[in-house]
Amino acid sequence: MTGGQTESHSLRGPIDRPALLAIRDLFNGNEPLATAKLDDFLNPRALKVEYDDGLRSAERSRIDVQWTTRNDYKYHYTDSEGVNLRWGRHPHNGDYIQVPGPEHYHPPPDASSDPSTVEESCIKQQPETLVTLAVLKLWRAAYHANSLTPLNSGKNPP
Amino acid sequence: MTGPAEPEPFEDINQAVREEWVAGTTPYERVREVVSRTYAPTDADTLADRAHTSPKTARKHLNTLADDGFVTTETGANGATLYRRSAESLVVEQAADILSEVSTEELRDRIAEMRDQIGEFQQEYGVESPEELAVDQTNALLNESTRAGEEPDDETIREWKTTRRNLAFANAALSIANAEKFVEAGSQTDNETVSSS
Repeated sequence: MTGGQTESHSLRGPIDRPALLAIRDLFNGNEPLATAKLDDFLNPRALKVEYDDGLRSAERSRIDVQWTTRNDYKYHYTDSEGVNLRWGRHPHNGDYIQVPGPEHYHPPPDASSDPSTVEESCIKQQPETLVTLAVLKLWRAAYHANSLTPLNSGKNPP
Repeated sequence: MTGPAEPEPFEDINQAVREEWVAGTTPYERVREVVSRTYAPTDADTLADRAHTSPKTARKHLNTLADDGFVTTETGANGATLYRRSAESLVVEQAADILSEVSTEELRDRIAEMRDQIGEFQQEYGVESPEELAVDQTNALLNESTRAGEEPDDETIREWKTTRRNLAFANAALSIANAEKFVEAGSQTDNETVSSS
């Protein structure tokens, strides 16, 4: 049974509106292809970032962002080709056997949550500014490489 | 379509964005940004580390921010000063953001809606707050008397806490809007009295 496991993998704390606003402004200010909006201006549960293009053959894509008062987060990518992947930070009780810390990556094509396939995330830093700048840069690197590999390799070779 | 420029080659994404951030901001801006969403009391060394500046510089800016009311301080167990975002300053900031986009009328409707939602949670789970719910859950687990189906999941608890927090910001916005109305109305009446006499 995985019922208990799912609960121990939850984000800690309420969603933080002030953090979502800061992340919204970073997407809107740094990425000409992206338009970021709170899902509900007064009672937001997520930030929706719509891209006018997608990675590889996808024509559109979206990143849904959740960030809590305790700095747990999810950045979930989904596109018009049905590809999903997600960077996250939350406790997992050691269930993700390849992941030593709370930061992890649910790989494409389906953002798998299978404990043996979840990878260690290449994003290690804390403040939401740096996490968001990293996601923006990784998306661009993948966009220009026409490959999903840079998303968690954390590198952009010349 | 003008696509985004291809990023410069990088070997480590963490280092790449850190350098970009440090190059584009002053230490004061980074300290302010980091502490603006630090809600748990935290020492200057940790905040300096997160803001990529020295503890001495961080402490100087944190003390300025404390004088301005942006940050509150307390003394930790070992005598060190701990800093966190002032709740008052955060509430005022969020209220101003809300009032810049939402009419008082809409705000009233949405506040009623959020109150209803919290009332529904209270009724459904028979407790006043999500904290009580978490305690109940732990007790149920310890007693191994968990009844599947009636237990709210962590998602529900987070939803409840999130709505309660956002309701607090919305309430503050409405209070400020009302206060401003009466303060302004008062000053107008005063002017009329002056001009008619």
